[in-house]
Amino acid sequence: MAANPMYQFNVYRIGPEIKLGEIDISFTNASLFMVISSLAVLIIFNLGAKKKSLIPDKIQLLAELSYSFVSKMISDTAGSKAKPYFSFIFSLFMFVLFCNMFGMIPYSFTVTSHIIVTFTLAIFIFIAVTIIGFIKHGLGYLKLFVPSGVPIILLPLIVVIEIISYLSRPVSLSVRLFANMMAGHTMMKVFGGFVISLGIIGGWLPLSFSVALTGLEILVAFLQAYVFAILTCIYLNDALNLHH
Amino acid sequence: MSEDQFKTRLKIAKNKAKPRKSPKNEKSSSNIGTAFKMSTELVSAVVVGTIIGFILDNWFGTKPWLILIFFFVGVIAGIMNVVKSAKKMQR
Repeated sequence: MAANPMYQFNVYRIGPEIKLGEIDISFTNASLFMVISSLAVLIIFNLGAKKKSLIPDKIQLLAELSYSFVSKMISDTAGSKAKPYFSFIFSLFMFVLFCNMFGMIPYSFTVTSHIIVTFTLAIFIFIAVTIIGFIKHGLGYLKLFVPSGVPIILLPLIVVIEIISYLSRPVSLSVRLFANMMAGHTMMKVFGGFVISLGIIGGWLPLSFSVALTGLEILVAFLQAYVFAILTCIYLNDALNLHH
Repeated sequence: MSEDQFKTRLKIAKNKAKPRKSPKNEKSSSNIGTAFKMSTELVSAVVVGTIIGFILDNWFGTKPWLILIFFFVGVIAGIMNVVKSAKKMQR
């Protein structure tokens, strides 16, 4: 059972089976870890925002650092117009980061290693950004699909290409996060399996690899959350400041 | 803290908070992010193009043709995505 490197991605039901018509909405281990990470975000930032002392303690420092980090990221990539969307991007970044990081704890479950979770996040961002673009620019938002300075004969082809590249945004956003998390965790399990099967003599090499991979995975967990958030900012920037 | 000290600190903070006129899309810190971005952009455009071709084929009943055309359009879109982000990076 545990030797299968894909076994860690199993979704199973916790508690009773709940059905809404034909749809199974029972509480699973995936939902449990989503609840855990959102609760952790809520608790940490509530504690951090409570004291407001001039000399921050550790938890307040953490909250303030992450606030200024995300705030700087938004103003660097999307400009000052994106300030109203701070809370959305901040909670998105924190949720993905905590899901990734909780996945690094042994015997836990990585929510973001399932494409349906990341795709739901990405399609939500995609629809939101499209609606924001249409609200801010009206039908002028369609100019995004018509780059300036293109000969009229090539225009139909270019428009189709631009539409495809626009529609590919949620796919690339979700596939990147999902693929990185899944590949990394599978690799860690595979090397862990090598340690067992090679025994006390040959097992040291894969063990050292495992240690290095754990470090790499923590970096990837942070980086992918960062990339997810920064790409949301870039898409938001396209919607807010329409230019080519 | 003397008043002068406070004034200079206020000035620095205000400078930091000043909105930038032209938002820079890529900074050096996010270069590794761009690398991840480009690798999947190429693939995802091809996938989306092929899916669109498949759906249109089912609609119009022109079985192999639209999926072929849209596959190649997807490839072009993917390459253009990568070129675009590379240009953005060089800016």
